[in-house]
Amino acid sequence: MNTRFTWFNVTAIVLGFAFLYIPILILVIYSFNESKLVTVWGGFSTKWYAGLLENEQLMDAAWITLQVAFISATIATVLGTMAALVLVRMGRFPGRTLFSGMIFAPLVMPEVITGLSLLLLFVAINFDRGFWTIVLAHATFTMCFAAVVVQARLTDFDSRVEEAAMDLGASPVGTFFQVTLPIIAPSVISAWLLAFTLSLDDLVIASFTTGPSATTLPMKIYSQVRLGVTPEINAISTIMIAFVTVGVLIASYMTKLQSSRMERDRRAADAAAN
Amino acid sequence: MTASPTINGPAAGASPAERRLLRTAAPQSGFAPWKDPSKQPIIRFENVTKRFGDFVAVDNITLDIYEREFFALLGPSGCGKTTLLRMLAGFEKPTEGRVIVEGKDITDLAPYERSNINMMFQSYALFPHMTVERNVGFGLRQEGMPEDQIKARVNEAMSLVELGKFAHRKPHQLSGGQQQRVALARAIAKKPKLMLLDEPLGALDKKLRNQAQFELMRIQEQTGTTFVIVTHDQEEAMTVASRIAVMNQGRLEQVSTPGEIYESPQSRYVAQFIGDVNIMEGKVVSLPGDGTVEITPASGDGRIFKAGACEGLFVGQQVWLSVRPEKFRISLDPPQSNVNVVKGRVDDVGYLGSISHYHVHTEAGNRVTALRANSSHNVERAISWDDTVWLEWPAESAVVLKA
Repeated sequence: MNTRFTWFNVTAIVLGFAFLYIPILILVIYSFNESKLVTVWGGFSTKWYAGLLENEQLMDAAWITLQVAFISATIATVLGTMAALVLVRMGRFPGRTLFSGMIFAPLVMPEVITGLSLLLLFVAINFDRGFWTIVLAHATFTMCFAAVVVQARLTDFDSRVEEAAMDLGASPVGTFFQVTLPIIAPSVISAWLLAFTLSLDDLVIASFTTGPSATTLPMKIYSQVRLGVTPEINAISTIMIAFVTVGVLIASYMTKLQSSRMERDRRAADAAAN
Repeated sequence: MTASPTINGPAAGASPAERRLLRTAAPQSGFAPWKDPSKQPIIRFENVTKRFGDFVAVDNITLDIYEREFFALLGPSGCGKTTLLRMLAGFEKPTEGRVIVEGKDITDLAPYERSNINMMFQSYALFPHMTVERNVGFGLRQEGMPEDQIKARVNEAMSLVELGKFAHRKPHQLSGGQQQRVALARAIAKKPKLMLLDEPLGALDKKLRNQAQFELMRIQEQTGTTFVIVTHDQEEAMTVASRIAVMNQGRLEQVSTPGEIYESPQSRYVAQFIGDVNIMEGKVVSLPGDGTVEITPASGDGRIFKAGACEGLFVGQQVWLSVRPEKFRISLDPPQSNVNVVKGRVDDVGYLGSISHYHVHTEAGNRVTALRANSSHNVERAISWDDTVWLEWPAESAVVLKA
């Protein structure tokens, strides 16, 4: 492999990363701006972060968002895992292709359509719109993402391990909870994290399905931005970025740690046996 | 089943079959429940057929296996041997026929309802998230056995496979050979009546595999469990098994002891599957009635082959004569007799130290292989490329095959 630093390579990588990260970097930098004007640097300050804590509206919105994300991600993970199990384990049954297509269609469905259809449903069944309608809507659209993540893991899962459990007397339900679930747990957790993050930053579907009582953080930010951007918005956005970044780093570090430890153990065992 | 009159002494370079014969000639040679009509089989397949769509994996098999047997299902991949084993474990349901174990029809029972049958899986299928101890105790825990009893049984199973010091390790911290022992201990911990082994040693290298085969035999004898093993390795089957079922395309070709399979195969398929063999085509010319048959080779050079007759032969029938390479006597001088002799030219010589292989192109146009032991001081001239040689064999070491 060619690993030399050429001017072309360096330029390409700088351009690429600049494109991706300059907007975020500017947002983060201006969250520490002393000045109230977003575009003029007036010195370093953390006063906007302190101000956040006193902004009850924003804090309420953040709390609602976390609750919605937590509950909807949990529902989506349970449903998504069940769907993935059926798709991978039940083999060929009539309508399997249709079923798998229907589970994955919402991945590419425009959010506006999903939001609108859910809104119409809630109106039709006369469901009071608010916190729970957002939860249900988010569970609906994140479930297919969860199913994809779990299905990927189940596909390369050795089904003989499950057969071994049943051979030793475990019922299908016992096998799932004692063997399958512990083994696929990392992918179930990442499915949950993915659903959680998707719910956290969703604006479109939440706007369609919310009622007067529930406003999520993205909705709050969006409505405030229309009245003019304040450094407070920068501050809360920076916190969200930090939240997501730390989560992703922890998840990837743990996966890496686990796989490298397993690899090392295996080598040690083989070396000891020879 | 034709009884074999042709058990010779230990030939030089003894084949696995012969080693096996020597072993069974020792104390347990009396073990042959399949010959005892008063014995009830522990497993009975009754006209079992399994189809996957259009593919017939198992084709109308009827088979009895007896208690304390070490029974091998042998055949190439796709012959149906694994399907047959999985029907015993409950992972496949027969399309037709019944499976009976200990007098009870278990055809429709789920795997977890067959408490007297446990299986050791190919590539072991250990639970990666549990320690060795938890793996071995898994089956007992499902039964709701008290923890102190589980501990005792786990220790017992682990000492049986000599695995005691690894109790708290996870499977990925073990070598392949150790994982294989865990898999064995896990299956044996529930003290099943019937133990199923699906290519249990396939993932081990050759040296470890030989050790593990003898260990399996030791454990089978110690526990008195009936073992059914699936393998595609004929040497493995010959080494461990009390009886072997050779399978081909979903059917049983032959079910016999390793010695009988080797010495008196019933078809060309079996003869060729087990060890090296030379097959010569011919026609029956006469049945003198003294238990022998005379055959002329297909090439028809007037020579006569004599061999022990089997049932159902008639004059003019097309048959095949099978002769193992080590049964040939190869010489540079024409023998006195004209019966059971072929003449040929040496194509190739393979020197393997204790023995040599000779590839001989016969006058009839066949290529046959002969083996000869290299005794220390050969007075004869060494046989070499392009030499004209005669191959002679005793009538009782040739087997007449009808198919």
